[in-house]
Amino acid sequence: MGDSQYSFSLTTFSPSGKLVQIEHALTAVGSGQTSLGIKASNGVVIATEKKLPSILVDESSVHKIQSLTPNIGVVYSGMGPDFRVLVRKSRKQAEQYHRLYKEPIPVTQLVRETAAVMQEFTQSGGVRPFGVSLLVAGYDDKGPQLYQVDPSGSYFSWKASAMGKNVSNAKTFLEKRYVEEMELDDAVHTAILTLKEGFEGQISEKNIEIGIIGEKKEFRQY
Amino acid sequence: MSRGSGGGYDRHITIFSPEGRLFQVEYAFKAVKAAGVTSIGVRGKDSVCVVTQKKVPDKLLDHTSVTHLFPITKYLGLLATGMTADARTLVQQARYEAAEFRFKYGYEMPVDVLAKWIADKSQVYTQHAYMRPLGVVAMVLSIDEECGPRLFKCDPAGHFFGHKATSAGLKEQEAINFLEKKMKNDPAFTFQETVQTAISTLQSVLQEDFKASEIEVGVVSKENPEFRVLSIEEIDEHLTAISERD
Repeated sequence: MGDSQYSFSLTTFSPSGKLVQIEHALTAVGSGQTSLGIKASNGVVIATEKKLPSILVDESSVHKIQSLTPNIGVVYSGMGPDFRVLVRKSRKQAEQYHRLYKEPIPVTQLVRETAAVMQEFTQSGGVRPFGVSLLVAGYDDKGPQLYQVDPSGSYFSWKASAMGKNVSNAKTFLEKRYVEEMELDDAVHTAILTLKEGFEGQISEKNIEIGIIGEKKEFRQY
Repeated sequence: MSRGSGGGYDRHITIFSPEGRLFQVEYAFKAVKAAGVTSIGVRGKDSVCVVTQKKVPDKLLDHTSVTHLFPITKYLGLLATGMTADARTLVQQARYEAAEFRFKYGYEMPVDVLAKWIADKSQVYTQHAYMRPLGVVAMVLSIDEECGPRLFKCDPAGHFFGHKATSAGLKEQEAINFLEKKMKNDPAFTFQETVQTAISTLQSVLQEDFKASEIEVGVVSKENPEFRVLSIEEIDEHLTAISERD
């Protein structure tokens, strides 16, 4: 991934031992639109604000929630163009797995490979880290799963999580509202309420996007 | 003690600044404005029209060679606002991609696929240090087989959106404000109305009346899905119609 003149990494350690470029990337994520995900007992829901720069934009041409495989979906906070690159790479990896093993890729594997790509861009020459954090929602043999992947390439499994501008309020709200063994419909309700908490202006079906995956293991987006 | 502003590099190549911004991408946007030209795009019920200023800086220049409207395929048009040289590279590559698509898949490249391709290419330049972002905002237009008239705008950051109407260049914000008012109730413009809205927006925002030789107009419509540039006579007709209407 290194390019001609840039055989050195742009992300280097500071004297205090921090990787400053990654911190800046996280700042870029923190100024992105809020998104969140909730894992229920029988499915996962992910949701995001879809605030467009002008009413002239055709909102049906914008898809912030994408499916990576028929049973795995993803949403982001941060830079849209970077997200598209990751979606493309992840989809390819999922297909390659399927070609090799004749099986749909398990959620943990796909998350691990996507995270590995993000980590590459923090270490390779001549590139900057991705300015996005991802929430990957999937349903496979191990049940419903929700993972958050950061620009550094680290990932964790969450019962519920939020990212972006309103992250602290959203997370507090989710901590209060989350119950173990929550049903999927409750989770969808909670997700919309959480978005509404930090929403500037009137919330409507045109300025949010929701992705749901249930027991039938088919990811659908709205 | 952190490295602070990344050793000052964050302004030279596309790495993050402490606030999480990419300065090079922001400067690319400024370069688009520095070209001093404003462009407008409007989508009607069954047609799309794009208009841009045609500034010929020297009387000795062959004005027919100065253009910002490029056909990518017979049915796909591209209006480039910003640095002309960057625009030409983009158009060259886009033409190649569209031709390859047609060859590989057996049908014409849809406009949203082209817009996505342009945006993805721009994204690569924002992430890899070896190439700077292009100083061009591209508006692509076409009549899509399945979705009808479509207008997309792609910017140096790698964003692309479909638009009902949009603007780019020096007076971008004023034009968008003007268009928001006009398109508020989702009007379904006829071909004539689409072209006239686009031209009159440009006139109002730049606060001057044009001669037909000072603007370029590109259109696609359902009756005539081939991308074409209007001739001086046709532009004159529309200008007359606008001034009579007012």
